[in-house]
Amino acid sequence: MSELRQYSWSEAHSPDSTFAPVRVYVWELPVRVSHWFIFLPVVVLSFTGYYMHNPFIVGKGSTTFMMGTVRFIHLVAGFVFIAAFLLRLYWFFVGNNWSNWRAFVPLHRRQWRGMGGMVAYYSFLRKDLLHHVGHNALAAVTYLVMFVLMFIEILTGLALYSQVRSSTVLNAIIGWLPRLIDIQNLRLIHFCIMFSFFIFVIHHVYSAVLVSWEERNGLIESIFTGYKFVPSDELEEDATSRSRR
Amino acid sequence: MLQGQSFTGALQSRGVDRRRFIKFCSAMVATLALPPRYVAQVASALEKAKKPVLVWLQFQDCAGNSESMLRSSHPTVAEAVLDLLSWEYHELVMAGAGHQAEAALERVVREEKGKFIAVVEGAIPLADGGVYCTVAGKTALEIARHVCSNAAATIAAGACAWDGGLVRANPNPTGAVGIEEAVPQAKVINLGGCPQNPANTAAVLVHYLTFGELPAVDQYNRPLFAYGRIIHDQCERRAHYDAGRFTQEWGDEGHRKGWCLYKMGCKGPQATFNCPSARWNDGTSWPVKAGHGCLGCASHRFWDTRSPFYERLPDVPGFGVDVTAGQIGLGVTAAVAAGTVVHGIASAVRDRMRTRAAIQPSPAKPKAKE
Repeated sequence: MSELRQYSWSEAHSPDSTFAPVRVYVWELPVRVSHWFIFLPVVVLSFTGYYMHNPFIVGKGSTTFMMGTVRFIHLVAGFVFIAAFLLRLYWFFVGNNWSNWRAFVPLHRRQWRGMGGMVAYYSFLRKDLLHHVGHNALAAVTYLVMFVLMFIEILTGLALYSQVRSSTVLNAIIGWLPRLIDIQNLRLIHFCIMFSFFIFVIHHVYSAVLVSWEERNGLIESIFTGYKFVPSDELEEDATSRSRR
Repeated sequence: MLQGQSFTGALQSRGVDRRRFIKFCSAMVATLALPPRYVAQVASALEKAKKPVLVWLQFQDCAGNSESMLRSSHPTVAEAVLDLLSWEYHELVMAGAGHQAEAALERVVREEKGKFIAVVEGAIPLADGGVYCTVAGKTALEIARHVCSNAAATIAAGACAWDGGLVRANPNPTGAVGIEEAVPQAKVINLGGCPQNPANTAAVLVHYLTFGELPAVDQYNRPLFAYGRIIHDQCERRAHYDAGRFTQEWGDEGHRKGWCLYKMGCKGPQATFNCPSARWNDGTSWPVKAGHGCLGCASHRFWDTRSPFYERLPDVPGFGVDVTAGQIGLGVTAAVAAGTVVHGIASAVRDRMRTRAAIQPSPAKPKAKE
């Protein structure tokens, strides 16, 4: 048995009865809601936004309100996206340990070490995956970068919308931006960040499937239910590492 | 010549009757976005106005704004505005030359100090002591400082005088700037556009003569009546845009039917100007109506910010001019997707190797199973 444990590649592959999996409520409801209400609008926004950049469906004589409808959907999806983003932003400050902003900003050596371990794992320099109850340190930093990109996307989107809308309120909020950076360059930034979302989604889904397979802890399901199945020793380790801070 | 003569008298001597004069006033009131009741006020103010002196300075320019002004016959701008003001100095059209012409300019600055209107056309070079544009042995900067800081108001006519225009476009070898930057102490109103629309120039002058002040301006000191609205929102092809009917290439069916020029790089959605309503050539047409996309010529530093003129988005720095942002984005996304597939296969191989190692640890040791 000890031989097997030595060579096995994860506890999940050789279930250890001494540390029975515990059902942990990791992702609270606002985290899951904001996750899906960021993802779904991003799909809609990418499709409609790309159409607005390059209208690949060209109407004929009798086509109805094609571009008008697409723009309307883009705007509605954009505001849903902003609402979900603000909800997640709020939850950075009131959420549990795994969704708190401290889990994302690498201020401790422990987080940088964890990042190094994940980079080593992804680049095949390391055989085993470091287990985490919440986000691993590398994923957390990636999400932080994505939140910053989302924020830039929101700012540039609002700036473009304020030009169309000529709204006094919107202009008071975002009017400074087009004076700083020309509206055409804002458009370019808004367009290019869309591809960073594509790249992120590819990586995000892949690594979620990979880690879920490695840990066998219900990671994929957890974004629907909120629960993960974590060996009790890992849970204790997670709690002590946090208290050591 | 016409100095001292009343405005009405001057118009009548040129054969402009009362009816045409009122038509001109109506057009000006409409351009200024004022209610119709101001027509009477504008008409009486113009009739009573003592003809103010105007000097038109030309620096690094193509004379396009002068041409645009002179070629406008609607609404008798040439007749009305040329007679409204005492046009004392204008290199393109003045009869005088050499020392006499320069003396006329000097006399205006001396005798009409703080009262005359200066119009500036063209950019002002600052590099190498301003040697790239000199008139009568003086640099453009010296002339502009001397004239504009003594003027009641300075009108920057066209893109070059506003923000440096074409002359200032990257890499700007002569260090050209607009009048506002060159002479900060001057009271400037900017009329961007390449060229500026003479109807707007006339409207600014009419506003000044009627109300004694310059019209309300935006953050670039451009009059809001002309630069306050997006071209896209006033465009006659807007319905085709909303319906998704686009010209795909020059001369195709959509182009012949007058569909939207969005896919041809039209910058109408990014530009503010009253081009679609004021129009050109006696109000007959404007670029989009003639079948060509808007270049955004009234936008700030449009040669740099609105190019490439036939693409929707600017070029991505470092990728040359033949690759669009969309191609780069799709390329990088595809590369990441391919890399992910490779990584997934490699991870699966690693998994197999680890599992085999776990089941068959080493030939020397006894097998864990059985």
